[in-house]
Amino acid sequence: MSGHRVRAITRRLLQGFRRDRRTLALLFVAPIVILGLLGYLMRGSTSSPAVGIANEDAGPLGAMVADALRHSSHITTTDINGSDGDARLKDGSLVAYIVLPADFSQRAQGGTVAPEVHLEGSQPGVDSSVLQALQQAMITLASQVVGRSVSFQPQIKRLHGGPNYDTLDYFGAAFVGLVVFFLVFVITIVSFLNERSQGTLERLMASPLRRGEIVLGYMLGFTVIALVQAAEVLIFSLAVLKIQNQGNVLLIFGMEALMAIAAVNLGIFLSMFARSEFQAVQFIPLVVVPQILLSGIIFPVSTEPKALQYLSNILPLTYAVNGMRDIMVKGADLTWSSLQLDAGVVAGFCVLLIAAGTATLRRRLG
Amino acid sequence: MNDSYAVDVEGVSKSFGAYKALNGVNLRVRQGEIYGLLGPNGAGKTTLIRLVCGLLAAQAGTVTVLGQRMPNVAVLRHIGYMTQQAALYPALSVEENVTFFAAINGADGGVKEALELVQLYDRRGSVVATLSGGMRQRCSLACALVHRPELLLLDEPTVGIDPQLRVQFWESFRQMAAGGTTIIISSHVMDEADRCQRLGLIQYGRLLAEGSPADIRAQGGSPNLEEAFLALAGRKES
Repeated sequence: MSGHRVRAITRRLLQGFRRDRRTLALLFVAPIVILGLLGYLMRGSTSSPAVGIANEDAGPLGAMVADALRHSSHITTTDINGSDGDARLKDGSLVAYIVLPADFSQRAQGGTVAPEVHLEGSQPGVDSSVLQALQQAMITLASQVVGRSVSFQPQIKRLHGGPNYDTLDYFGAAFVGLVVFFLVFVITIVSFLNERSQGTLERLMASPLRRGEIVLGYMLGFTVIALVQAAEVLIFSLAVLKIQNQGNVLLIFGMEALMAIAAVNLGIFLSMFARSEFQAVQFIPLVVVPQILLSGIIFPVSTEPKALQYLSNILPLTYAVNGMRDIMVKGADLTWSSLQLDAGVVAGFCVLLIAAGTATLRRRLG
Repeated sequence: MNDSYAVDVEGVSKSFGAYKALNGVNLRVRQGEIYGLLGPNGAGKTTLIRLVCGLLAAQAGTVTVLGQRMPNVAVLRHIGYMTQQAALYPALSVEENVTFFAAINGADGGVKEALELVQLYDRRGSVVATLSGGMRQRCSLACALVHRPELLLLDEPTVGIDPQLRVQFWESFRQMAAGGTTIIISSHVMDEADRCQRLGLIQYGRLLAEGSPADIRAQGGSPNLEEAFLALAGRKES
């Protein structure tokens, strides 16, 4: 082993980095951006899940529990009428509501504490915050009902999901779309760059092909592949992983297809800003990771710090993920206005990217 | 502008940042002519060819091809362009590559003839990634002429091709020119220059001299084309 030769390799590598400013920026800027975002997401969140309380109890204990809930750090509470609860779960203004029934005090004195807990149900993490807050309130209550053992029997009802609904069901619905989006994006950006680096794009440009024809041809070609992949992912998720699905399979497939088309066009568009496959791969942490963090896949957008919520609301992936969850978890169909919005935004994003890809195609040849 | 010229380049300049690739170049090529663009590496040959097929826009001057001001997409159907690097799809077969370029140029058929011309018909099923450099170059040529263009732009087409095949290439070029195809070939190989009807010597982005090989010899004062070129280049430099 020659130290001289090893040094030559090391030096060659560092010399290359010196001229590749973009890679240097990625190495030193991207980790700060990603970790900073993650830190802000997890610690900067000020909003806790919104929970409604309907105290219908004729006795004194209901008010005590309601008060304990209001002071819980796990949730933010609003007083509601029990009859409005379901409507407010559906419109998303509450993630749960707790009804303390008319005979609550009476039954508590008899040793049974039975609040009704109505969960929206599609976000497992949020459910546990609600139940945790309720449990703490029950501890306060137990200290008041002296001299007798109290049995805590909450009546849990879920609008969506169900008792078997687990973390995989929640994440799976989003990941079915995300896996397709991510892989199709990577394949498209690398292939389109190949077209540049192997010189064939120059040939295409010297032919009567129009820019729009190139972009459209690419989009259709990759979409065919992406649709086959989307079908495979969907079948595996439903048949093998048994991810819960309340919606129409064709609708899921349609949403996946929209995400694939968006990914193809994002790949074509971003390939205009990279000169090599190496640079293209660098777009993954910069473009894809923040989208994954902010699109509500892991942290619900409603619990993000306010500033990040604005950012999340302009990311197309947020709508795609929301749409997938609406279909698979809540059984949404095209009559739901939320799904119309989600599908519309993703489709609009596709159109925007097709136009952007076409407009920037010639620029980088000259 | 004169319609009898297939290519008419007038006072064209093109810079890339501070680097002046072409500086006031005038060039006229008649229909059916084989025109050789000669010059060392970096002289501006490829830039000039890219301007002629509309891949680049000139900062000054005009480029007229087949009677139309460039860039013009409609004219591109009548142009065949072979890039310096054999620009092909490595995962496709020889025939699939040629068929693709025929299709995007709006030609039906002609694939078999093009493959026979470059002597790749027997290898039409071979995947391009498995071919030698010379074979790729031949396949690239087939892609450039499959749609029977009126103007063929060949950027160093014979690099990596054995002498025997080179002779056949030139025979084909001559036949095509006789049939009315205009051919512009860039090269830095002097023995190729002798096969052209007219030559343009280009260096530092300027056209130093123009004429038949005999004219160039006379201008350079040497019976040897290479020496004549060096003499002309040196004269302009000093």
